[in-house]
Amino acid sequence: MIMAEPVERTDSESPAPVEESALVRSARRGDLAAYDELVKRYQERIYATIYHMTSNHEDANDLAQDSFIKAFQALKSFKGGSSFYTWLYRIAVNKTINFLKQRKNRIHMSLNDMDFNAEHNPDLIALISDKTPRREAGLSELQEKLNAAMLKLSEPHRLVVVLHDVQGQSHEEIAKIMDCNIGTVRSRLFYARQQLQGYLNDYLK
Amino acid sequence: MSENNFESLRRLLAVKRHELPPSGYFNNFSGRVVARIRAGEAEVPDTLSERLVVGAPWLVKFFQIFEAKPAFTGAFASALCLLLLFGAVFAERPDAALQPLLTQATESSAPLAAISPAALPKVTESTLLAPGGANPVLGIQPSLQPVAMLLGQQNPFAQQVSFNVPGN
Repeated sequence: MIMAEPVERTDSESPAPVEESALVRSARRGDLAAYDELVKRYQERIYATIYHMTSNHEDANDLAQDSFIKAFQALKSFKGGSSFYTWLYRIAVNKTINFLKQRKNRIHMSLNDMDFNAEHNPDLIALISDKTPRREAGLSELQEKLNAAMLKLSEPHRLVVVLHDVQGQSHEEIAKIMDCNIGTVRSRLFYARQQLQGYLNDYLK
Repeated sequence: MSENNFESLRRLLAVKRHELPPSGYFNNFSGRVVARIRAGEAEVPDTLSERLVVGAPWLVKFFQIFEAKPAFTGAFASALCLLLLFGAVFAERPDAALQPLLTQATESSAPLAAISPAALPKVTESTLLAPGGANPVLGIQPSLQPVAMLLGQQNPFAQQVSFNVPGN
């Protein structure tokens, strides 16, 4: 993910990272500076999850902002039963799924560009090289097919694939976020991968 | 099927990690969020489902069961209807529960017999025969009567009475 402009700091200059729980306590008292810090910590992951669920940058932008606003509003009801990160994820995921249910038949992709490193990724080069049966497929076509295939999955199945195969989260973390057991996560992941294999057969030979 | 069977799919899905928002997008993301909070958007009331997610996640999970397995919806609705029906039936048969109370009430009203008729408030014939009038006996809980008739019962609150109007 794109990070904020890197700023060179020596060890003596860099402030010690503030504990998340302290930031949450301050934010709960209305300290917006503390909440700003929390947003910075999770903005990229929350945005990425929503983006991969919706395949639309504008929707992801709106939903990510709404999720953080909603979380701030609901901070008083956060009892600390789970980590702030898991709790925030749940809010974002529920907001996204509600949104997707409403727009059901109005799928409009607005994809982000691939970063520069994509062209040098050996896996990607292999996929679009002469060795593949669809050698005419360019990077953008591959991206489009991939997102279209993802959108064919149901929301819970898509979410598991996004969290596990795209974002690299563990089954345990996903189970906490989705508030279900690990067996459910595994079975959803298996089913979703089977479906995707069918949709993307041309690229997987 | 093992993880290896999906290895090429996983490599393909990893391509999505390279999809990134416009350069500098996150530089002021938190600033925009905080600005919206300052502008008072946090005060905007949420939808019911959003409030439930935060306040009562167990209820959301409960509804999700219905969504996943519609058969549960039918079973739950049937159970509720049965409960309502049983409630209506037993509400019409308060004999067991009300008997001690009725007995007690009869005993406590016995001293009224000692009061002379002249001391009682006068009730005219027209008042008694007027439909929906202030009939103290037949006017009790009329809404229960159709249910009792439907179930083939006599209304336990309705009693046959006869009046002798003075002067006849």
